[in-house]
Amino acid sequence: MSKNIIPNSIFEYYKSKSSFILNQLTLTRFILFLIILFLPTILFSLDAIIKFFSDRNIYIDLPSGDYILYICVQVCVYILLAIGLNIVCGFTGLLDLGYVAFYLVGGYTAGLLMTNHGFNYFLVLPLAILNGGLWGLIRGAPTLRLTGDYFAIVTFGFAELLFRAVKNEIWLIQDINGFVKDIPSVNIPYTKIVLYQNWHHYYHILILIGIVIFITYRLKNSRVGRAWIAIREDEQAAACMGINVSRYKSLAFAISAAIGGLGGAFLAPFWGIISAKAFEFWESILILCMVILGGKGSIRGAIIGAVFLGSLSEILREILLRVPQFSSARILIFGVILVLLMRFRPDGLIYKKSV
Amino acid sequence: MDVFLQQLINGLVLGGIYALIAVGYTMVYGIIQLINFAHGEVFMLGAYFAFTLVAFFHLPFWVAVPISMLLCAGFGLLMDFVAYRPIRNAPRLSALITAIGVSIALQNIARIIWGAKPQPFPEETLPSFLQQVNPLEEPNIYFSFLGINFTEVAIKFPGNVSLAYLDLSIILLAVILMVGLNRIVSLTKIGKAMRACAQNRTASNLMGIKTNQVIAITFAIGSALGAIAGVMVGVREYIEPTMGYYKGVAAFAAAVLGGIGNITGAMVGGLLMGIAEVFGAGYIDPIIEFIATNVGLGEYYEAGTISNSYGSGYRVAISYIVMIIVILIRPTGLFGKSTGHRA
Repeated sequence: MSKNIIPNSIFEYYKSKSSFILNQLTLTRFILFLIILFLPTILFSLDAIIKFFSDRNIYIDLPSGDYILYICVQVCVYILLAIGLNIVCGFTGLLDLGYVAFYLVGGYTAGLLMTNHGFNYFLVLPLAILNGGLWGLIRGAPTLRLTGDYFAIVTFGFAELLFRAVKNEIWLIQDINGFVKDIPSVNIPYTKIVLYQNWHHYYHILILIGIVIFITYRLKNSRVGRAWIAIREDEQAAACMGINVSRYKSLAFAISAAIGGLGGAFLAPFWGIISAKAFEFWESILILCMVILGGKGSIRGAIIGAVFLGSLSEILREILLRVPQFSSARILIFGVILVLLMRFRPDGLIYKKSV
Repeated sequence: MDVFLQQLINGLVLGGIYALIAVGYTMVYGIIQLINFAHGEVFMLGAYFAFTLVAFFHLPFWVAVPISMLLCAGFGLLMDFVAYRPIRNAPRLSALITAIGVSIALQNIARIIWGAKPQPFPEETLPSFLQQVNPLEEPNIYFSFLGINFTEVAIKFPGNVSLAYLDLSIILLAVILMVGLNRIVSLTKIGKAMRACAQNRTASNLMGIKTNQVIAITFAIGSALGAIAGVMVGVREYIEPTMGYYKGVAAFAAAVLGGIGNITGAMVGGLLMGIAEVFGAGYIDPIIEFIATNVGLGEYYEAGTISNSYGSGYRVAISYIVMIIVILIRPTGLFGKSTGHRA
């Protein structure tokens, strides 16, 4: 009696997959899922409770639900970026110190097209993704043969050059310091729906994250993902096994950069204003820190790292607004976290490196 | 031609400073293959230490600089001991990430302690003959020799080319320090140990060389040289927390240009980098204008919306460009020997 390991049909394959998902569905996960799905409702009811008490002269010192939601959307953007960076840093094992470049490309593609040329967001989104991927290839093509620290240095220089370009080239951006102002909100074509509130943004980015996670999971468990991991473990051995190293590396660069472009494209209408200051070098380091905290090469790790460090960053920003002379302590803390992680848990705090 | 010569002098001064910093990068890289990102921050701290000693403890400049060098050497030792030694045998990328973390942490600590604003050294720090040249003032000429005028603060060559005594002393000091370093590395026992460690660390450990000690001394020497370079920049320009980042990258680019791991290469690379930066900043405008008019952006150039050297533009970017080009085309640099393994 031979067991058929190759599923007969796609349907059967997904049936086995779905039972796998059902087996994994514990109560805690289900509750987590519900919380994520109904987060705006929970926060707004929290608001209502606080208002109920404050009407009766009992004051609870909590930020408003809408503000918490805003921070959640920020954190979600970081989740998106961490997943994207994880493809180059985690799967192919190359240290990318300039990931913010693609975030910048996406942000400015979306911002400039929407503000100056009146493009609709849903047309801009694929363009920003394509443009991000294109820049990923532009950077990737000459750096294919580099590994280790030289690759890291080139990515760093590349991001700095792009940063300087948007900061200085006024003819391109039409304003000083890379300011693009009054970016219109997302409106869905043929309807009158405009996505301008924080809970709109929340569900919007939740959908984007869902798509990106799905794609990266499928890629990771496919031929492509195994090729990437083979390259990470030993590039020469992978080449000997018949893996086209340049092709798979370029693919990783392009996909990772495209996800960065997606994050930037979301950011532009979400903030309504972008400036070069949002794309400084240390932003790359923050994203890198998230990926490393979660454990390189693990998508779940990247998400958890982004949630943890993203909220830490936003909370610190809020606290340090009150003591302006310590405002750079926020960045300082991430530097210290990087050093401590490398010292004690180089494979991440949460998950061990797979394979 | 006058402008050219003047730029060349400025470039050489800047290059001497870069060479001093680049030596610190390259020595550490040569021994433990670590790009010590935090070296730029040590350079910045050196300037701030001297500044604090002069401005708040009212020490004379000539005392403050050696103390600052000692402090920075100690700081280099501390950095090696706390951050790098525990991960000596970890993958190289872990060490690089640690270095970046240390760099970010130090830069922001400096920002908290000394504030983000650029600060010059106090005016009375240096004797009057070591001041910057003020182009508006007509200086008193002390004596002339073959058409070369020696004034209060500068040597004036014929044709409006001047070399400030400050710049002259920076160049001389840089040369003395580098020749001294070269002697240390090639003649002394510790220099021999350093070269042995750079060739093969395990083997030199087996031969009874205390490699950790050698690495610590390397860090200390590099940091002390970085500190004096920081003071030079502080005296010539001003001190700010981000100077370690920008000048550090430029010096790293210089080290890469000369072939990282090679001390002579770092010196030559530093000089070339300084000249490239000054000439780039001085001569980039006609190039940009040429490109702009030929691409069809001439009107934008006329309107001044294309950045030029005045608009804080690409002076820093020159070092990034040099660095990227060298890494992509010739990763071993000008003087580096090509090794068996790839970049």
